[in-house]
Amino acid sequence: MRRPRPRTLLLAAALVLALVAALAPRLATRGTAFRLLAVVDVTGSMNVRDYTQDGRPVSRLDEVKTTLRALAARLPCGSELGLAIFTERRSFLLFEPVAVCADFAPLDGAIANLDWRMAWEGDSYIASGLYSGIALAGPLGADLLFFTDGQEAPPLPASGIPPFEGEAGAVRGLIVGVGGTTPVPIPKFDRDGREVGFYGMDDVPQENRHGLPPTNSELREGFHARNAPWGGEAASGEEHLSAVRTDHLEALAAKTGLAYVPLADAAALAGSVAAHARPRPVPGTWDSAPLPAAIALALLMAFFAAEALRARRPHPHPTTRTRVS
Amino acid sequence: MSMDVDHRALLALLVFCALPLVARTLSGTAVPALLAVPRDGLSRVLDGGLKLAGVVAIAALVLGLAGLHLTSQTVERVGSGAHLVLLFDRSASMDNTFADRQPGQGEESKSAAAKRLVTDFLARRPRDRMGVAAFSTSPMPVLPLTDHHHAVAAAVAAIDRPGLALTDVGRGLVLAFSTFDRDGTGAARAVLLVSDGAAVIDLRVQAALRDAVKRSPVRIYWLFLRTAGSAGIFDKPRAPGEDTPQAMPERHLNLFLASLGVPYRAFEAGSPQAVADAIAEIDRQETAPLTYLERIPRRNLARPAYGIAALAMALLLLARLAERGLGARPAARLHDAAKAAVHDATQFGRAA
Repeated sequence: MRRPRPRTLLLAAALVLALVAALAPRLATRGTAFRLLAVVDVTGSMNVRDYTQDGRPVSRLDEVKTTLRALAARLPCGSELGLAIFTERRSFLLFEPVAVCADFAPLDGAIANLDWRMAWEGDSYIASGLYSGIALAGPLGADLLFFTDGQEAPPLPASGIPPFEGEAGAVRGLIVGVGGTTPVPIPKFDRDGREVGFYGMDDVPQENRHGLPPTNSELREGFHARNAPWGGEAASGEEHLSAVRTDHLEALAAKTGLAYVPLADAAALAGSVAAHARPRPVPGTWDSAPLPAAIALALLMAFFAAEALRARRPHPHPTTRTRVS
Repeated sequence: MSMDVDHRALLALLVFCALPLVARTLSGTAVPALLAVPRDGLSRVLDGGLKLAGVVAIAALVLGLAGLHLTSQTVERVGSGAHLVLLFDRSASMDNTFADRQPGQGEESKSAAAKRLVTDFLARRPRDRMGVAAFSTSPMPVLPLTDHHHAVAAAVAAIDRPGLALTDVGRGLVLAFSTFDRDGTGAARAVLLVSDGAAVIDLRVQAALRDAVKRSPVRIYWLFLRTAGSAGIFDKPRAPGEDTPQAMPERHLNLFLASLGVPYRAFEAGSPQAVADAIAEIDRQETAPLTYLERIPRRNLARPAYGIAALAMALLLLARLAERGLGARPAARLHDAAKAAVHDATQFGRAA
């Protein structure tokens, strides 16, 4: 038996590899995905327009919606995202986590439909809302994304943040701080939803006068232990202006075992999610066919290229190159 | 059916399809002149066939690597179903049982009963486009109209969470009607209102509702989860002075919905079984022809492409193996070899 020529071997190897590619198995792999519950603050201070999109001012809520929609599009397939809104002192679940890839259209539409008019009360007890958000996310087995500007309305009492009764760190996730750092006025709406100006200093409570007065209140003007434990003056302050309350949100994050990040673009948020949320293994497949197929293609091209190069080499004897057929 | 590839850049490799046209599959033999050889049709066909096989092999491998597939698409089909908006009452009273108690052992709250039954209802109506809205103190859009029933099921699953304070059913209905506004397909439209109570509807909201149903008629089903001992939809006033929306909001909501001039049915369900009957009745009613979209998933064609490449290469390999140069000995054939052996034997015999 004659030894096969090298080009024949090339061709035979390419053929075998192409057959391997045609029959190659799809290997099971483990992908990483997340199960998240996004709780969006829809209270009045989220109407502050201190973001810009395309050169136009947009409200904090619009910015959150834009980022959340982009995040949903960016999360790895197999991830799930649920949606809840926060106002008053409760987080209110709209729907349980749904697949971000398979059910993207309704998810995207639902996020786009978020509106401050969904709020059922004007109050904004951020700490209580966060705790109830954690209580919602826990049984769902989801990690929390809590979007808020951290503006407590009414302000926190002198005793500070209410105690967290859950287990810190049992639910992981992020508190996302929304809003600029410069205090700006909050838009005011009438009962038909028309914007009618901004809140003034006298429109909102500037100090929480429930519970015990703060220490050193006896130094205030007009203090009387029984009749005026908070001093004799009306409270003044900047509660009618809103900026992101980073310190408050960081304190809440430390108390509940969440992480605090300021709102940036979807890419940064996706990075924070990857860093702080629990990754979940999801079954994925890895198609092993391209590897043998690529080698087969390379070998086949080498097979033809070898002949093309050989034909270009000058022949030792002058011959008439005429077509055989 | 349209085809697409995942990695368009890889299609640039298709230029190598020209390789088999310039480089021959067979090695051939260089001879000084072939002018005397007659033109041979079979040889030309064979030559063309081998070139074609080479082009096909390279093209098939490149297309397979680029991820050739039939794109997923949606096909319009006509079935029976409706565009349905589920409007849920999420007031706190829904968290109690039909006997108006905190759910205890073996009892389920009204919201849990509604969740279980509506989830079953979803499974029986795979072709409906559904939207979800909720109301309590304020109306809340939950899901736009969609055919993704997993998402609808996730929204229905959320209704047994603790509810909020009030029952503003009027604005909830306005929201449910406006959910339809964005689609103009002319399909049958229905709103399924699930609530355990009613409230006075503001006169301006009443006007808005009358206006909305005139613009786009909607069928309305009201599934009233009646708590034992509470006022019912069909109760008659005991005294003439009691017949006001404030005193009997359920009766007056029923009268108002009936006066809208659109098909309307109310089901008063005092137990989970009665709710099931009501839902079965709605299931029977909502069977108008509906154009719905069916998704055909994408089909990968990479493997068939590799198979075709392998077939083409098998042809090339056969041709290579069958190739004989001009210098090949005719004795390659068995018959000739036998003859040569006999010849050698006789020569050997003579020499002996």
